[in-house]
Amino acid sequence: MGMQACNLQNLPENYALRFWLYHLMTWPQISFVAEDAKGQIVGYVLAKIEHPSEDDKEAHVHGHVNSISVLRSYRRLGLANKLMLLAQEAMTSIYHAEYCSLHVRRSNRAAIGLYRDSLGFEVAKVEKGYYGDGEDAFSMRLNLQNKNGFIN
Amino acid sequence: MSRATLAKKNALPLKEAGLFKELLSQYENRLLKKGLKTAEQILKKFPEHGETLCMKGLLLTHMGRREEGIDLVKKGIRFDLTSHICWHVFGLIQKADKNYEEALRSYTQALRFDSENINLLRDSAQLQTQLRLFDNLVETRHHLLRLRPNLRQNWVALAVAYHLNGNLDEAKRVIEQYLYSLKNVPNYDVELSETLLYYVNILEQSGDLSGALSELDTKSKSRAIVDRTAVLTTRARLLTKLASPEAGDSWKALIDHNPDNLESYRGYLADQGVSLDDPTSALEAIPHLKAFAKTYPKASVPVRLQLTILPASDPEFSTLITNYLERALKKGVPSIFADLKALYSDLEKRKIVETIAENIKQQNFAAVEEKPSKVDEQKEPTTYLWTLYFLAQHYSYVPPSTTVVPNHKLALEYVNNALSHTPTLPELYLLKGRILKRGGDFLGAASAMNEARILDGQDRFLNTKAGKYLLRAGMVEEASRLFGMFTKKDAESPGHDLEDMQSLLFLLEEGDAFKRVGKPNLALKRYMAVKKIFDTIEDDQFDFHGYNLRKFTLNVYLTLLTWEDTLRSHPGYVNAAIKASNIFVEVSDDPSIVKALTTTDHLSDAEKKARKKAKKAAVKAQEDKKSTQTSNADKELEAPPPKDDDPEGLKLIASTDGLEQAAKLLQPLTKLAPKNIDVWLAIHDVAIRRKKLLQAVGALHKAASLDAEHPELHIRLVDLKQRGKTFSDLPAPVNSTFTEELEKLIPEAASQSLENYNAQYLQRHSAESRCILAAAKVAKSLSGSVQDVENIVFNVFGPEVSLDIKTALSALSLLVSLSSQRKDEFRAAAQKHFEFSTAFKAPSELEEMHKYVLAESTADGKPASAESTTPEKK
Ligand SMILES: CC(C)(COP(=O)(O)OP(=O)(O)OC[C@H]1O[C@@H](n2cnc3c(N)ncnc32)[C@H](O)[C@@H]1OP(=O)(O)O)[C@@H](O)C(=O)NCCC(=O)NCCS
Repeated sequence: MGMQACNLQNLPENYALRFWLYHLMTWPQISFVAEDAKGQIVGYVLAKIEHPSEDDKEAHVHGHVNSISVLRSYRRLGLANKLMLLAQEAMTSIYHAEYCSLHVRRSNRAAIGLYRDSLGFEVAKVEKGYYGDGEDAFSMRLNLQNKNGFIN
Repeated sequence: MSRATLAKKNALPLKEAGLFKELLSQYENRLLKKGLKTAEQILKKFPEHGETLCMKGLLLTHMGRREEGIDLVKKGIRFDLTSHICWHVFGLIQKADKNYEEALRSYTQALRFDSENINLLRDSAQLQTQLRLFDNLVETRHHLLRLRPNLRQNWVALAVAYHLNGNLDEAKRVIEQYLYSLKNVPNYDVELSETLLYYVNILEQSGDLSGALSELDTKSKSRAIVDRTAVLTTRARLLTKLASPEAGDSWKALIDHNPDNLESYRGYLADQGVSLDDPTSALEAIPHLKAFAKTYPKASVPVRLQLTILPASDPEFSTLITNYLERALKKGVPSIFADLKALYSDLEKRKIVETIAENIKQQNFAAVEEKPSKVDEQKEPTTYLWTLYFLAQHYSYVPPSTTVVPNHKLALEYVNNALSHTPTLPELYLLKGRILKRGGDFLGAASAMNEARILDGQDRFLNTKAGKYLLRAGMVEEASRLFGMFTKKDAESPGHDLEDMQSLLFLLEEGDAFKRVGKPNLALKRYMAVKKIFDTIEDDQFDFHGYNLRKFTLNVYLTLLTWEDTLRSHPGYVNAAIKASNIFVEVSDDPSIVKALTTTDHLSDAEKKARKKAKKAAVKAQEDKKSTQTSNADKELEAPPPKDDDPEGLKLIASTDGLEQAAKLLQPLTKLAPKNIDVWLAIHDVAIRRKKLLQAVGALHKAASLDAEHPELHIRLVDLKQRGKTFSDLPAPVNSTFTEELEKLIPEAASQSLENYNAQYLQRHSAESRCILAAAKVAKSLSGSVQDVENIVFNVFGPEVSLDIKTALSALSLLVSLSSQRKDEFRAAAQKHFEFSTAFKAPSELEEMHKYVLAESTADGKPASAESTTPEKK
């Protein structure tokens, strides 16, 4: 619920709790939260794994970041960066994800800075009018296989 | 649904039997309209065929004709009481209604006539889990496993059932049997990995720690367990419990995995025999933390923990905090104050931080004021700015349970100073807003928040804050307009979207705002919407009772169940439950509140028009929704949500069973929030009005054990004593226990003169404004003399009394409710006490000021109402 509350304060794309539960119950290992000293959630990353087709399992497994945000008063501390790294590591070591994908608003400078400059994502394509209000999305990707390698 | 057993007295002839089969498959494929036609075809010839009637009813409920559908189902059952299909249909409908008890009863009936029906059994198991009927669950899971031993999930399902029922030995046995039977599992199989982690969990819980450890170690080495974080965490925990010499290293491994997790440090230190909760023991942590700080220079935990542990008198504290603070201010970390304020419970530490920050400010002042040539390379203007920002927070903050007197004036000075250097930083306006709010200028606060929002219109965080502050200022409509910038455009209103998205923050804040502006109906409506969200979340777990077993995510599933069991301890629920129950109580004491709300006489024409318009819009939105829904009806089985016929909450607030609703709201809190005194006070308030005397006095006992001198308790004790005299019509044993219990709380002697009792209370707490107010309220109920009340109330301005805005406002409304002659005198005194406040202005004055809150900045760049709060000047 803390993740949900944090999301509602930060982003226009919101979901009912059921949606959050569904992700946590299916892929409990790849979503993370950041807490302040009192245990209040101040940032989160919510992620999922996609297996595109049943018969071709190993080839295309990839992770997808649904939502990430950090409360404004806790930004620029490196929290989002850390959360992303934890999620990426879990995607690779547990699910053998080949790459990690996500969508971001074309105008979201902070997020694009995080994905591209800090984490090394690249724009895979532009999706016109992806968001509810008509804004374009960058569909971004990060290859996980040669970057992190296998930990274990 | 199984189609096998039709050959009974209600058997259909071949042709119709074929049609019925078709009907079933049409339902399963969501072909509702076609199904309906088929059903009608059968019923033409056999109008009393129970199973067809039930199926038709089921279809109708999915097509928006609920009532009619349910009637048909009931009729169908009467024609065929021994059909499992009829009962199954009935169960399905009840289940969709979240009526789990009834649904389970129907399923149980259905199973009597078709005991091996897998669907029935599986659904029953889910219902039994939802209802926490674990004995029955074990039985059902056993049955399912016997019928389908080849289905892997049936094994883990049985194990989980045993586990939930507290039978760990059986759970372990079943899982072991299952694991033993597994063959040819590929490496890196996430399902197996999760199952093994669950097995380790069972071993641990049943006390077989070394078994758990060796299973964990072998299976993670062989890469059957792939979740590294889980392995490291579990391993460290197990080794610690086993007091193994390896435990320390296991915690170190965890710290290395993620050096920002406080829990890992705690674990490591505990293993070294250091407890962070005991100040003297904690000191021993310092050398360890120093070492960690060296190894992980980027991690903040090891340094931050030292700041908590080191005593203020230790010179090391000063050195460390100086570096810590300087680094953060140089880098411009906005959250540094939020991080450090926890240290302030130690007032000496607070003082040290203040001195250091003031020094940094002095040192960097040059960078801003002096000519660039003279400026020291090291000193940055932004450092100066962030230092001002830090200090402003510092001066306006009162650490809990200390007597620090906030200096809002100085804080404002700092913030304004910072703003004059950098007028484009939203954080500064956010802070200014917060300071003004603390000083009681809710309008100026909202205005500052709005300035922040305007500076970065894309940021929803700023938007949410601005909306929240508008609500605090009682400007509900303006707030809604702001929220609307980020809510879905096709929603009926911003509020509806926020409610759909389950925003507790919004519902609670808007509820409070409605309460303040005299619309308890809408406030109640919002609080009850919060309750509904919690009901929904409780229902949300239902599907996971099946889902997680299929996915083998068992440990997280058990966490989910525990979390759901304690769901209502969430502060959002507690808050809403108490506030809703307060409104129910108020209405029960004074039914004229409802009457005043429902007669429209007092409304102005404009308001009446607005109401009509809102009503029309609501009806239209409902209709729009409906029309899109029926067109989808064939694809979707979700029934459309029933429409809200009480958008204003007027029926709700007029409920004749308000007190019963309140009691139900509070009931779960007796177990889930027993340390919250407000919970017990609210329980008392409801119980006494429901004539549940023993419950009422019991609740006060609980309250007294938490804080015997609590002002709200004082009010209730005297009230109960007075009421006590009127309960003579109760059965004697109840009455005498009640008297006895009450006696323990407030001695009989005192009740000889409750006036004296009250005076003594006042004397004991003469410097606490909330207690003074309580004594005034008691005086009101005892003598009813306005003058007595006034004499007490004005004590809040005494020189030793610490007065806060909230209490001052309650005191004012007490005077207003008594039509006291001295209310304006009180307003003036409060205004003097809270320099910046606008909260004590007369309502008419405030209304005028609302206009300026959202006005764009005036020519001099300052927000319209934040500086000078009197609009006449503009
Ligand atoms: C995007 C967001 C999650 C970043 O969170 P954060 O914890 O502040 O990010 P970090 O501190 O980890 O920053 C990592 C890097 O991201 C980049 N970055 C972050 N904020 C930035 C900003 N405002 N401008 C430019 N780059 C920025 C920088 O490269 C930064 O590295 P640096 O600090 O070493 O320069 C946060 O700004 C946020 O919650 N925004 C609102 C919600 C949102 O837009 N989510 C993304 C939806 S796809």
